[in-house]
Amino acid sequence: MPIHDHGYARYAGVRTQPGRAWAVIAGAGIGRMLSARPFLLVLLFAWLQFFVRAVMFYLAANVPQADVIAPSPATFRDFFDDQGFFVFVVAVYAGAGSIANDRRANALQIYLSKPLTRVEYIGGKLAVVMAFLALVTWAPALLLLVMQTMFTGSLSFVREHAFLVPAITLFAFLQVLVASITMLALSSLSTSARYVGMLYAGAVIFSEAVFQTLRGVTGGGTGLSWVSFSASLAQVGDVIFRVEPRYDTPWGVSLLAVALVIALSAWVLARRVRGVEIVA
Amino acid sequence: MSPPVIAAHGVSKWYGQVIGLNNVTVSIPPGISGLLGPNGAGKSTLLKLVSGQLKPSQGHVQVLGEPIWGNPKAYRRIGYCPDHDGFYERMTGRDWLTALLGLGGFDDDRAARAAARALDTVGLTDAADRKIGGYSKGMRQRIKLAQAIAHDPELLVLDEPLAGLDPLGRRRVIDVIRAWGREGRSVVVSSHVLHEIELMTSNILLLNNGRILAEGNVHQIRDLIDEHPHTVRITADDPRRLARRLLGYSHVIAMQLQDGAVIAQTNRPDVFYTELTALAAGDEVGAVREVTSPDDNLHAVFSYLVNQ
Repeated sequence: MPIHDHGYARYAGVRTQPGRAWAVIAGAGIGRMLSARPFLLVLLFAWLQFFVRAVMFYLAANVPQADVIAPSPATFRDFFDDQGFFVFVVAVYAGAGSIANDRRANALQIYLSKPLTRVEYIGGKLAVVMAFLALVTWAPALLLLVMQTMFTGSLSFVREHAFLVPAITLFAFLQVLVASITMLALSSLSTSARYVGMLYAGAVIFSEAVFQTLRGVTGGGTGLSWVSFSASLAQVGDVIFRVEPRYDTPWGVSLLAVALVIALSAWVLARRVRGVEIVA
Repeated sequence: MSPPVIAAHGVSKWYGQVIGLNNVTVSIPPGISGLLGPNGAGKSTLLKLVSGQLKPSQGHVQVLGEPIWGNPKAYRRIGYCPDHDGFYERMTGRDWLTALLGLGGFDDDRAARAAARALDTVGLTDAADRKIGGYSKGMRQRIKLAQAIAHDPELLVLDEPLAGLDPLGRRRVIDVIRAWGREGRSVVVSSHVLHEIELMTSNILLLNNGRILAEGNVHQIRDLIDEHPHTVRITADDPRRLARRLLGYSHVIAMQLQDGAVIAQTNRPDVFYTELTALAAGDEVGAVREVTSPDDNLHAVFSYLVNQ
């Protein structure tokens, strides 16, 4: 008769040090998203603009008549503007359920009973959304710059606009961070990913609508662009890419508005991401 | 004496206006300890404080010699099984366990092995690759227990682990808990069902309204309740003669004859047992065959304390 040993042997392997659990969460989240075909399709569509612009760069470099479409720093700024829709879609797709689903499954209490801090948990979730958003903003923008260099066969454009690489990186980081952390904060408020998606869309649309209304009331003045989530980011982006700011609002005020959104989201996350929800 | 696995000093926890735990000071020794109390007594609050899920409003909690709040490193030494489910229904039991072990710092290979072992221990090997959504209530309880033991902790903190289990599942979980205790590890297990705790341990902590009512061995607790009548059943060759003799003692407050046995109630059990031994040693009342204490169980102690 076989005798089964139900005793436990002490784990003799190496355990990663505390502080790295975020990578486990991020890895699992990225893997899960990549296994969803509709999401891959969204990513593919998000790269369409890259291909179109790459063709334009090729033509501008090789066809003298196409000189009018030659790239400039504004081209890269416009690229980010045009990717705004996909930033929205990817943020909703990858981020709406990230905490909401854990809350719906009541899984937070078990997760946070493991050697995992709340910061690591949030960091892991943030990394998933940020990775995919960077994939549709920062990665294609930098690759476009590489394409431009390849098509022209010279580094003169990059040398002439040496600020472009840090500008692309900085603005992409800001755009990705704001979208990701806002989405996570909203995700922590609900147990329904669908509701979170609608909430995010509502927040973006509502703040823009308020801005446009104020703009109408003030006779076309854009000094109150800071009330809009996306307008503030756009204003800061213009400054980063050294193009004419599109609104009258001082860029410092727009930056402050963006920083406030980030701080508010971080505060919400700190309040909501807990193993035990306290209803007082 | 071994240092306590859990030491709480002056711990209170408020949920807004509601008090969950009220100035609790307690030391829980190594081994299996039962946390007993009615619903709302503060058992889950205490276990959440012990597992580092809640911060005390007042006082401090040390687990395995370390402060537990804000110390995730110490969570590696603890296996926590909450009272409610917290699963991804679409994951298989094995995947879920492996993922949680990954959070604890296990590499993939070791996590897979530890998960398989934990699944075997709770008797879920056959269902390991089925989605949790298809698990019965009993299987869900066991997979929760598996996640608590899988990383080989020194202390298990189990909040109502037997809730909703069928008799077979209940037996299995109790066996796992007792085996864990036999291996020299510590378990703190809560329940509001008295006989469940009795099956696992005699070392108990009674909670009611956020306060500790009593702690220690159930028999010791029983002895502490001096003013509460202690019932003793004595089977003797001549029960009537024995009853007559016992009635002479001032500490015997009630007596009845039932099925050839004397059932006496005393408010001084220590004195009673000494004098009964002396009686049995002589031939004055004939042979004394058996002495039991029908109410020397958790239910009697608990009822008495809660009704105070």
